[in-house]
Amino acid sequence: MSKPRVIALSGNIVSPLGLTARENFLAVVEGRSGVAPHRETFGIPEPFAASLFDRKAVFSEAASQGVSGYNLFETILILSIRDAVQRAGIDPASSRVAFVISSIKGNVEALSEEEERVPVSVSADRVAAFFGQPNPPLVVSNACISGLTALIHARRMLLCGQCDQVVVAGAEVQSRFIVSGFQSLKALSPEPCKPFDAARKGLNLGEAAATMILSRTDAVAAGQWELVDGATRNDANHISGPSRTGEGSYNALRYVLPACTVEELAFVNVHGTSTPYNDEMESIALNRAGLSQVPVNALKGVFGHTMGAAGILESLVSMQAVDAGVVPGTMGFEELGVSCPVNVSRENRPTDKRAFIKLLSGFGGCNAAMLFRKGGAR
Amino acid sequence: MEELIKNLKLQIIEALNLEGMTPDQIDDNAPLFGDGLGLDSIDVLELIVLMEKNYGIRLTSPAEGKQVFQSVAVMADYIAKNRKK
Amino acid sequence: MKIVRYVSIRPDAAWLNGVPVPVESKGLALLTDLYRLHVKDYPKFFKMDLLSKLGVVATELLVEDEPGRFDPREDRAVLLFSRTGPLCNDRNYQHTIAEGEYFPSPALFVYTLANIVTGEIAIRNKYAGDTTAYELSSFSPEHFVAAVRAAFDDRITTSAICGWAEAPDPDHFEAFMMLVQQDAPDGLPFCEETLRQINPNLR
Repeated sequence: MSKPRVIALSGNIVSPLGLTARENFLAVVEGRSGVAPHRETFGIPEPFAASLFDRKAVFSEAASQGVSGYNLFETILILSIRDAVQRAGIDPASSRVAFVISSIKGNVEALSEEEERVPVSVSADRVAAFFGQPNPPLVVSNACISGLTALIHARRMLLCGQCDQVVVAGAEVQSRFIVSGFQSLKALSPEPCKPFDAARKGLNLGEAAATMILSRTDAVAAGQWELVDGATRNDANHISGPSRTGEGSYNALRYVLPACTVEELAFVNVHGTSTPYNDEMESIALNRAGLSQVPVNALKGVFGHTMGAAGILESLVSMQAVDAGVVPGTMGFEELGVSCPVNVSRENRPTDKRAFIKLLSGFGGCNAAMLFRKGGAR
Repeated sequence: MEELIKNLKLQIIEALNLEGMTPDQIDDNAPLFGDGLGLDSIDVLELIVLMEKNYGIRLTSPAEGKQVFQSVAVMADYIAKNRKK
Repeated sequence: MKIVRYVSIRPDAAWLNGVPVPVESKGLALLTDLYRLHVKDYPKFFKMDLLSKLGVVATELLVEDEPGRFDPREDRAVLLFSRTGPLCNDRNYQHTIAEGEYFPSPALFVYTLANIVTGEIAIRNKYAGDTTAYELSSFSPEHFVAAVRAAFDDRITTSAICGWAEAPDPDHFEAFMMLVQQDAPDGLPFCEETLRQINPNLR
């Protein structure tokens, strides 16, 4: 009997740039960004730049689809999951389907009002109930790597035979709570971010939901995307500062690299938050892993840092990029400003390769890497 | 100045949760970071908040903060010259 | 997979492998007492939020006698489950961003991330393996066992500090955590039935 494998059946992205994975991918290759300057938004005194939804537009779109009575966080999750489920043609109410939801703060916004803050786990229950899903959804809340950890965990659930398909969905909604927190950490740039650039000043936050439907299979057909391998590793160093040697990021890369050759990688889609420490750390980890020559790109200039959605969103954009034969450019990048060589470009570049690595790092010292490969002739 | 230094030490102990430490145990001239009190990058940011909250002084970056937070004496001197409340 | 050791901590008592751990205080002071008796010299403890304090102290009880316990290792995962995660600290941070008294605290904000407790355990014990914070709306032994089994499908992981850690406020917290090993000669089978036997709240 052949070893079971895990493939992606479909995907969706709901962001300020569009309501489908396709619309969002086109924004990337056409160089459009959702990041805009904000003053007084959320009543925050210091200006910031972020990619935020027009809330009214989201709720009216949802209402037109018959979705109402949910908070913004739950609403974007439902819109994203519904589109992905329809495209995959799976039954979300099946007991052989599992839901894995990734988010850092859910609807923490409500803490500031009189209403009860709903824990992410309870929001996840409501979303699963919307789809008639009988199993309790599992929430992954692993800071900035949540989405990738969710994919890694979902893949393992399938390999263990715990279910036949998994709906993996991540979402983040911004708020006074989160923006003020990142400002207090001096991590936000008041201008559009500049990943890996010498003049980078910090990150931009973003809002989005993204969904990937995974399925177990015995054989990967041509054109199907396989989640080949992935792991989460900790720096065991500091809760907010990345390891100076890129320890956890390097260990996560080292875990997935035996399953591919460096030559077959179209690119590494890195975290690239545009904070001085993160991008420097990633350059060190890539160098240690022997990946300095492989094209690298970051999507934070387009979507901002979408936190709990980032791992899924950025993987979905990367799959479409490889399908289209493109290494997306890194918006905001101009001049390399990290200590190790990194093969990064502002412009889109052509590629004929069929695999990529998604890399993320986050607070709590966690890091994750996943290798994706498209089935068919190499 | 003596009063300012004593208050500042109490504020630092409270803001950074330096459990069991008294103002007498902090040397005015000892470095706050590195070997001194063993403070880290989040502590620098928390001291930036302390400066704004208690003295109306805005420090924009951790690098600027580290200059001011060399020792309690340097900090107190900076506060005396720049305080807005 | 075997449960090698297990620990329960509540505001009024603590147990290791079902045996009461001597401690006099109640509530938050109970955690501080356990810190002083077992962790001893780790001042960073006092900077942590309630959930991290609970997780770090519970882990200490699980591994304090382990040979070579501070040797760096990548083969041990930290997999914690919760309903509300860092809710208690969310409120503390919220107070620092009130209208008119707006001084956001970076130290409090960092601990509003649900996985910081897993990071603190990894840092204290030099665990460089998988660390993941999961949330479920209620503790289900069945789904907890399934999730931990799936997480063990990692070529490096051979053991894990795992369990339930819930800390909505200083008067209400509960840790039910265990050291699970892939190939342990002794211990209890890692399954739903065992969890129900060793934790009366689950019966």
